[in-house]
Amino acid sequence: MPIDFPGEEWTAAYQNAINTSAEYKEAGKDWTHGAIAFVVPKDPVVGLEEDTAFILELHQGECRKAWISTVDEAKQQPFCLTGSYSQWKAVMRKELDPIKGMMQGKLKLKGNLPIIVRFVKAAQVLVELTGSIDTKFLDE
Amino acid sequence: MRYDADLNFVYAHTPKVAFGVNVVADLGTYAGEMGLSKAVVITDSFLAEKTDLLDRVKQTLGPLLAGVFTGVIPDPTAASMDAGAVYAGEQGADSLISLGGGSAIDTAKGIAVVLKEGGKILDHEGYHALEGPQTPHIAIPTTAGTGSEMTMVTVIKDPERKQKTFIGSFHLHPNLAILDPTLLTGLPPKLTAATGMDAMSHAVECQISSLGQPVSDAYGIEAIRIITNYLPRCLEKPDDLLARGRMQIAANMAGTAFSNAMCSLNHAMAHTLGARHGVHHGTANAILLPHTMRYFMDVSAVEFARVAVAMGIDTSGMSAEEAGNKAADQMEQFVEAIGLTDRLGDYGVTEDALAGLADVAMTDGTIIYSPKPVFEPQDIVEILRKVL
Ligand SMILES: NC(=O)c1ccc[n+]([C@@H]2O[C@H](COP(=O)([O-])OP(=O)(O)OC[C@H]3O[C@@H](n4cnc5c(N)ncnc54)[C@H](O)[C@@H]3O)[C@@H](O)[C@H]2O)c1
Ligand SMILES: [Fe+2]
Repeated sequence: MPIDFPGEEWTAAYQNAINTSAEYKEAGKDWTHGAIAFVVPKDPVVGLEEDTAFILELHQGECRKAWISTVDEAKQQPFCLTGSYSQWKAVMRKELDPIKGMMQGKLKLKGNLPIIVRFVKAAQVLVELTGSIDTKFLDE
Repeated sequence: MRYDADLNFVYAHTPKVAFGVNVVADLGTYAGEMGLSKAVVITDSFLAEKTDLLDRVKQTLGPLLAGVFTGVIPDPTAASMDAGAVYAGEQGADSLISLGGGSAIDTAKGIAVVLKEGGKILDHEGYHALEGPQTPHIAIPTTAGTGSEMTMVTVIKDPERKQKTFIGSFHLHPNLAILDPTLLTGLPPKLTAATGMDAMSHAVECQISSLGQPVSDAYGIEAIRIITNYLPRCLEKPDDLLARGRMQIAANMAGTAFSNAMCSLNHAMAHTLGARHGVHHGTANAILLPHTMRYFMDVSAVEFARVAVAMGIDTSGMSAEEAGNKAADQMEQFVEAIGLTDRLGDYGVTEDALAGLADVAMTDGTIIYSPKPVFEPQDIVEILRKVL
């Protein structure tokens, strides 16, 4: 059964995908830099009526906790990525390279850049794992 | 071309550039037209005390001048930006005028953010995280190198992490850039050469970067052509206004190009050497560039062959790889001919330090746009060793 994105069930499925990925376990094994938050601003056209955010508490190759949060809580995390619904969808479908998206202003990153660069492989795996979830997008 | 399969891009830069001999005299008019009334000039103590550049700016600003911050340091630190923001705030600044090289322009970009958003500059680290226009900023470069007057980034040295980091945002473009060749006639030969090679590195690196596209390619190639022809002329005759002006235009074009296409490994190493050993940004880029070109030859020969043509090399009958290698060889000769013969050892870098430098370069924001992934720090050690 496809899972609605975004939502609690989807966030749990993402946590599970991360924790069962041997590739992420290896690439993220030295990560001790805290949580990464994701923000999707509301977009009534696609059916997202509220600003939505979720947070992954990542530590040494593991996602210890994943939850739906407020935007304020998301923005207080050490790293926060914001993108429109359609941009996130494009990333998950591998139609938008997240690094290119970040430079073009389609995805907005708040946080210490050198740390993200050091873990660029882990970040790539995290993004790829979104594609492994059977996702139902709101506008489909 | 490298982007034939997947061409999509966003292109952005400073919206207005005024170029011309003595055009700095129009600064007051431009500032008035922009509705500015309390401008703080951001510069360094050398330019303020040992040259007439600040006086020329003060004169044209007249009553619009609210203060002068002379605390710009080469490779600006977060603390220097925060101090500038405190000063500008105390003067009630509604705008900033940066006067100087990349360090002054980047400092003003940082101050612009803190004045508008509050906090300290490193609170705003990130890419495109700024949510709206920042404090108005007119940039007046006095070096022809960084192109920072056109770019969306400010480069910040973080002494705690002993590393350079960036803030990138379309809201960091200055609102206006003023390019006046008369501001550059006093730039000493070594700095003329080094800053010119910073522009050359931008132009070459954006040819191979993974974010490249036709617009940045065109700007970069033309910049390479101009720098090859006019940088030596600036050294022979420092008050040659035609040559100085052409170099300003080349640096401006190369800055525009790399702000959109980004740089790669060469800049990752140069940033690290600047932050850790105080090697001037342009000098580091210059001495490393031929070696970086050779390192990427296996994936970027076609692009380096285009660089060869722009450098005036007759490539007829050559394969892409032959032409690309010729470009790297000629780049090495060019760097030597303009007097940049520095070695890393001159700055106290030892063989033992190379591995640590490579580790830091691996985390520099520019490295991810390299034309092939750089996963092995040892590759960087080997390049650095060539210029030790
Ligand atoms: N934001 C960007 O897009 C960008 C791009 C490239 C480099 N940078 C940054 O720019 C900085 C380097 O800037 P730079 O190479 O222009 O050097 P700089 O601004 O650090 O200046 C170097 C020295 O040159 C002197 N100087 C400048 N203009 C002069 C003139 N006309 N006459 C006499 N002396 C003059 C200054 O007083 C200073 O002592 C580095 O911090 C680098 O990281 C930023
Ligand atoms: Fe540079």
